[in-house]
Amino acid sequence: MPYFEKIVVVGTDALADGIAAAAEAAGCSVVRVADASDPGGAEDALRAAYLVVEAVAEDATAKHDALRAIASLAARTAVIATTTATLSVTELATAVPGPERVAGLHFLHRTLDGAAVEVVRTDLVAPGVLERLSAFVDELGKVAVEVKDRPGFLLNRLLMPYLNDVVQALDDGLASAEDLDVALRLGLGYRRGPLEMLDDIGLDAHEQATDAAFAALQDRVFAAPPLLRTMVATGRTGGASGSGFHDRKDHA
Amino acid sequence: MTKTSNVAVLGAGTMGSGIATVAVRAGHRTILYDLTEDRVERGLTTTRDFLAKSVKLGRLTPEQGETANANLIGSTELTDLADCDVVIEAVFEDLEVKKDLFGRLDDIVAETTLFHTNTSTLSVTAIASGSRHPERVVGTHYCNPAPLMKLVEVALGRHTADWAHRVTSEFMASVGKTVVITKDMPGFIVNRFLIPWENDCIRALESGLGTKESIDAAVKGNLGHPMGPFRLLDIVGMDIHQQVALRLYEQLRDPRFAPPPMVERMVSAGDLGRKTGRGFYTYDDNRLFGS
Ligand SMILES: NC(=O)c1ccc[n+]([C@@H]2O[C@H](COP(=O)([O-])OP(=O)(O)OC[C@H]3O[C@@H](n4cnc5c(N)ncnc54)[C@H](O)[C@@H]3O)[C@@H](O)[C@H]2O)c1
Repeated sequence: MPYFEKIVVVGTDALADGIAAAAEAAGCSVVRVADASDPGGAEDALRAAYLVVEAVAEDATAKHDALRAIASLAARTAVIATTTATLSVTELATAVPGPERVAGLHFLHRTLDGAAVEVVRTDLVAPGVLERLSAFVDELGKVAVEVKDRPGFLLNRLLMPYLNDVVQALDDGLASAEDLDVALRLGLGYRRGPLEMLDDIGLDAHEQATDAAFAALQDRVFAAPPLLRTMVATGRTGGASGSGFHDRKDHA
Repeated sequence: MTKTSNVAVLGAGTMGSGIATVAVRAGHRTILYDLTEDRVERGLTTTRDFLAKSVKLGRLTPEQGETANANLIGSTELTDLADCDVVIEAVFEDLEVKKDLFGRLDDIVAETTLFHTNTSTLSVTAIASGSRHPERVVGTHYCNPAPLMKLVEVALGRHTADWAHRVTSEFMASVGKTVVITKDMPGFIVNRFLIPWENDCIRALESGLGTKESIDAAVKGNLGHPMGPFRLLDIVGMDIHQQVALRLYEQLRDPRFAPPPMVERMVSAGDLGRKTGRGFYTYDDNRLFGS
């Protein structure tokens, strides 16, 4: 019997799909909801759920709206998890009734292919919520890493300055994009080089995340490098756009 | 460059013996040079042991192993290097020592002999200034263990000539290395990004953003690194990390390179990592990685 027998996943993108599929594979009964404000017959499922995962687009208004709607229907004893990568979980939680039910569940990869998931603790969280979320992560076959609610949590906080630094070095002509990636792959055994990683993450998603961390921390290591801005502005965002650091020649 | 060349490796320590292995197994006649017979002999033994193991594992045929052994020569006389086409310097990380060696070699080898330096943190241009022919000096930064790691970072000094760059590429191809080209800037590529990364991870630990276990698990699990930062630091050694970080910080003046206080505390306490049995983690034995 899975830890959370009944789960509702709110959202329609790849992350929501991935979480729903993984939870089903773990034996949970999963109900999908596209829009929590207009659950279209899924009210009962939201009321009965032991866990509601909010996985809507990474946008403050969308997250706030979804969580407000979820919190108004979900049981007081349910756990509400937000998948935000860039917003403060505490801020999201305090805007809804019953904030002690809310914690963060941060999947670093939208495709769920990372082995570790950050479970984000707020100062208000009720006893047992983090443990239950960690047990859920465990059931998904992943490693739960409990982290503080700080900008970038743990992994992005470490990753963003490194990625910004590599982008700036590329702009400074330290080496070609190819050679920067090859050096870090072969020299350190990384599965992917930093620029390949940025192409996968999406340069726009990285820009949004690093801007949010810069706004919160005012630390220049989070300041988006000019080359990143230019590439996002011209649509070379990696991922789905088909062009990023690794086919820059076509767009020069 | 002809297919096989006469190569000399200066310094028969960890890197020198590894680079000699790389050169000799590719068919180059290789002289391993150091200050004392003792050190030369130790380096030669390391190389021969590696070759023997490669034969045993089937990575080299017995004939290739024999040829390699026959091509490997030890020396404590710089004049023995007179016929060398490529000289690879892997002595102590000390600018004056490296400059002095290249200056003395100027009088021994031909003007077209390439000088490679394996420096990790010094300026290739500064080392090249020890030679009257700085145009022949190229930075070639191997990774440890050199016989197993594919990557060589090639760094061009201010006066490095195109021909020196070109012949270096041919040499690297002959020994089967993958080359990246970078500038003569502190830390080249790998250390340039590794050192601030590790310092940031140490700072995250200092400020309680995670535990050593949680940070290692998150990094290894999600970033596709072969191990987390604290496992890696324990292998590298905190003293080495501190040295490299300080040398880069002195040149770059970027606070991300400055070793955080925890580094100095661990070094003072003798918690250097695997080699002392305790670093971030504790170890029952002090077997070093790779041995
Ligand atoms: N150890 C690493 O992981 C690593 C990786 C890449 C580059 N490097 C660089 O490679 C170089 C050598 O490092 P190592 O770890 O092999 O050091 P090491 O201490 O193991 O070996 C250095 C050797 O150089 C010899 N030597 C010193 N002065 C000499 C001289 N004037 N003439 C001839 N030989 C002399 C010493 O006797 C010693 O045997 C350094 O510049 C280092 O920064 C080291």
